[in-house]
Amino acid sequence: MSDSAFSFLGRTLRRRSFLRVAGATAASSALVLAGCSDDDDEVVAPTTPANTLIFANGTSGVLNYLYLLEQLQAAFYQKAVDAFPSDFTAEDKAAFIDLRDHEVIHRETLKYTLGVLSSAYDANLTTPLAFKFESFTLSTRTGAYTAARTLKEISVAAYNGAPKLLVVDNATGSHVTYLKLLTKMASVEARHAAFVRDQLQPNSFAAPDAVGAAGLDTVKTPVEVVALIAPYVPVTLDASFLPTT
Amino acid sequence: MDFLNILARLADLSPETDTQAPAPRRAALTRIGQASTALLPAVLAALPHPASARVRDNNTTLDVLKLALTLEYLESEFYTQALNQSALFSSATDRAAIETIRAHEAQHVTLLQGLLADAGAPQPAKPNFDFTGSKNGAQAASFPDVFTNLDTFLKVAQLLEDAGIRAYKGQAEFVQSDNQLLETLLRIHSTEARHASHIRTMRRQRGATVKSWLSPTDTAITSAGSVPDKAYANESNVAQYVPGPRLVPFETTLPINVGNPTLSKEALLAKVAEAFDEPIDTAAATDLVQLFTY
Repeated sequence: MSDSAFSFLGRTLRRRSFLRVAGATAASSALVLAGCSDDDDEVVAPTTPANTLIFANGTSGVLNYLYLLEQLQAAFYQKAVDAFPSDFTAEDKAAFIDLRDHEVIHRETLKYTLGVLSSAYDANLTTPLAFKFESFTLSTRTGAYTAARTLKEISVAAYNGAPKLLVVDNATGSHVTYLKLLTKMASVEARHAAFVRDQLQPNSFAAPDAVGAAGLDTVKTPVEVVALIAPYVPVTLDASFLPTT
Repeated sequence: MDFLNILARLADLSPETDTQAPAPRRAALTRIGQASTALLPAVLAALPHPASARVRDNNTTLDVLKLALTLEYLESEFYTQALNQSALFSSATDRAAIETIRAHEAQHVTLLQGLLADAGAPQPAKPNFDFTGSKNGAQAASFPDVFTNLDTFLKVAQLLEDAGIRAYKGQAEFVQSDNQLLETLLRIHSTEARHASHIRTMRRQRGATVKSWLSPTDTAITSAGSVPDKAYANESNVAQYVPGPRLVPFETTLPINVGNPTLSKEALLAKVAEAFDEPIDTAAATDLVQLFTY
């Protein structure tokens, strides 16, 4: 990382971050989630390629990152619920409806808190991102649960890695409020993950590919997570400005 | 010297300094956590001086680790005793699941013992456990057939796992200044959540009305007002807050009723309760441990 990038990171640590939609016209849809000072003349953002969503260093970047993950999952379960696999049982259907509802509730919770910050990355988008699930086989029970497992494992790893990235704000204690909220959601994501794994393969709820030798569940950095979800998202994602430790 | 206590207090002091430069402070504290105690005075001298003696009413890092280890002792011993009963598991699949969970709990014990040892902190002794709840015969047993009836065993397993998840969440804020420790505890926590989900799935497959996530529609496994019931306190909560504090408006404006047909208000709020797994505080977690300790 260059020195200029470091100085960018240092400044944004102390600055309220908000969404900046640059060039969101019919021709270009560059989404820049950038740290910005209250006066608008200092835009602290790197050069922005078109069709790229950049998560800013700071709490709003972390929340937008999780918001996108919840949007992705809610869209996935909605698609599956709209056309259940023909071999889904009544229990499968009820479970997928629960999963859809939980993800919608998580998505809207994050959108609400980002709205309070005026920071939701998509606040000014005329149409929401259209996620791409063509690589999944959603016409069969096995295909649907395999896809669900893939997305759930990403989600668990992301929620295990995200809370430490919240910026400490002792003046308001907002980092504690966010930690409480995110961990309540993280527990449910891990319960979901174990459930979909068991449905696919009995007793695989905490198999070694998910829970390692020390009894620790998976964790991934935002950069690792956005690489994994890239196939399903119609814009380029850049999480390189989020901290990793 | 109560080394972890000092660390915890340092993390709580000097909000001005934290606000200005949180990253170097966190990095310094993490380094202390990894360093030997011999290096401590020099590292402490390099830290910003606390601006005031503000001490929050909360747990120290040492308190958190001791409670976590005690919970893991409880769970580890529970599954070990169960697996020692030759007649409890008639299904190889059931037994394999419990062996997986037991292995993780033993790993958590080792991990937490190591964290305490690295910090030079005293290890809490492993308590004596009686999972019938009779305190070694001193009182009437709450779960007399815990190791002879698989359904009772699974109920107690669900209770311990659900409570463990909730206890870790209750402690997370007290280690938030130590990124490495926070992440470790969250990763233990999500492993426990997988266990709880699986135990609930096992119970559902045996006919119980219970989802793999906590739901107001679950048939209660505890009686109202009992110590085990307190481990589930507030689980039907639908009031979530974001900074401000602002109440998340599930009941009014949020577009969360997306099903076809739409849900009744009661059914929708049950989904909201399911979507958030609530914490319990230190007292509730300790009371639950006490129930099985003599």
